[in-house]
Amino acid sequence: MSWRAAALNLSLLTLVGWALFLGVLTGRVELVLGAVPLAVALVLGRRSGAAPAVEVTHEVSTERLSEGERVTVTITLEAAASHPLVEVLVPLPSRVSVERGNPHAFLTVRAGAPTTWTFALRCEGRQRLRLVGPFVRLWGPLGLASAEARYRAPRTVAVYPTLRPLRVPPPPRRTQASVGNYVSPAQGEGIEPGEIRPFAPGDHVRHVNWRATLRLGELHVTQHHRERNADVVLLLDTLSEVGPPGATVVDAAVRGAADLAAAYLARKDRVGLIEYGGQLRWLRPGSGRAQLQRLLDTLLDASVVFTYVTRDVDLIPPRILPPQALVLALSPLLDARFVRAATDLVARGFDLVVVAVSPVAAARATLPRGRVADLAARLWSLERRRDLDALRRRGLTIVEWDGVSSLDVALATVRREPRRRMPA
Amino acid sequence: MMLRLVGFVVLAIVVAIPLGVLPAAPVTWLVMAALGIGSAGVIARSITLATIAGATALIAYAVALLLARPTGTMLDGLALGAALVLLLAVVQFAERSAGADLGPGVMAAQLRQWLGTGLLGVVAALLLVAGAAAIASGIVGATLPMVVIAASIGAALVGAGVVVLVR
Repeated sequence: MSWRAAALNLSLLTLVGWALFLGVLTGRVELVLGAVPLAVALVLGRRSGAAPAVEVTHEVSTERLSEGERVTVTITLEAAASHPLVEVLVPLPSRVSVERGNPHAFLTVRAGAPTTWTFALRCEGRQRLRLVGPFVRLWGPLGLASAEARYRAPRTVAVYPTLRPLRVPPPPRRTQASVGNYVSPAQGEGIEPGEIRPFAPGDHVRHVNWRATLRLGELHVTQHHRERNADVVLLLDTLSEVGPPGATVVDAAVRGAADLAAAYLARKDRVGLIEYGGQLRWLRPGSGRAQLQRLLDTLLDASVVFTYVTRDVDLIPPRILPPQALVLALSPLLDARFVRAATDLVARGFDLVVVAVSPVAAARATLPRGRVADLAARLWSLERRRDLDALRRRGLTIVEWDGVSSLDVALATVRREPRRRMPA
Repeated sequence: MMLRLVGFVVLAIVVAIPLGVLPAAPVTWLVMAALGIGSAGVIARSITLATIAGATALIAYAVALLLARPTGTMLDGLALGAALVLLLAVVQFAERSAGADLGPGVMAAQLRQWLGTGLLGVVAALLLVAGAAAIASGIVGATLPMVVIAASIGAALVGAGVVVLVR
């Protein structure tokens, strides 16, 4: 970090020149004397060589938060020598707004004493917010010289989609062997009571139904239904997107996927994720809070990567996409490659539910208001309804969702077979 | 807002000095021009406009001195120079700090710095006057060519100093 002369030097030199020139021209000493304070300021403000070092610390209050929440950024400056004027500027990425304070500030740093500056940011939309280090500029006397440095101390804040509880996520048609929340018709260990039968050797005493025993005069036990979990795979379409930044159909699909993942994991299901786009990424089905965190981290990076290459779903290994799994596809159904993949999955016997995120409202938000745009949006909606009906006729279960209102309401319209009829 | 207010006060001092010497045309016109340009510079936080306003005020002051031929106005010249330093410093600081927050103690530190520099300039000028008076007593009766030679050497030294300064 070295000193550089500021533009003010030129202004002062100009006025010194004018004062001396006019003084000589008019023969008046007052003008020459008027040049002296200007020249003294030039001399006093002169700085050369290396500027003294300033130690900068750049911290954020949290590294994980939900969209709409705020993060406090703290900049601490410390120097061996006093600096009457230090300028600090933290460049902010888009989709971040300043809620309190200012990322651009002028501070006074006293020798040996830390000077702290804080401001709060509100993070709009899911993102991996990367705050690069601040620019720090030392100003010499009168602002005649400055020394600038950029402190590269990046801090990353993961802004996750806000989870909204789902009461009725689509139930899976097939369950797995592990214990879960879905009641199986098969008898076994569980808490859901089933049929009553006479006591047999080997039955637990705690299963004895005393009321039936007293009525029938011999020991009877209550059988229980097994409770099973299911494999759920979220298939996220990142082949195409429309809408303004932060409110695209992919953003809406990511929010929906996060809600669904949280709902199924709360039901002890194993949830996996496949990002079907320019780059095919996946996360093996798993359960628990750690899996939710892994899913949210993967969803955070979901984005459209343009490619001409079409990757078939055959490439996905069975451990990622188990044949018994309930596949929940979240897609605007704009790309024919994704439609083909979904149709292929249904044809192969997968239990597939497509959550069709409507791109009409998102695209409408990017266009100026006008009758033509309104008419185009209505026509597009009609065309889309026709296309979705055609896909339904081909065996796809499709739920229409506008991406804004509650996904719970949209999912309530899914017609599925009752859970009790599910095979074990 | 406060910086703009300080800028207007300093600008008022800058334009008042030529008017104090000769409150008549054409000084009035030049002062009005300096005031207009300077006001625009203060409002727009433009160091360029403030410099032009300062130069115009200097021209107005020179014209006023030429027409009025007053005596004993050396302090006016010093005040004008100090005020011009303050005007440029204030406008530049306002330009730099536009949209930024000022931490505690920043404004007080700046005021101390501006006033200290202005005061130091005045003291330096007074020392220069005292030095000139001492030299003047030594060269009483010197012929014009000698004075011109001495002045040329002085000017050359100043020029060399400026070159070193801005190099």
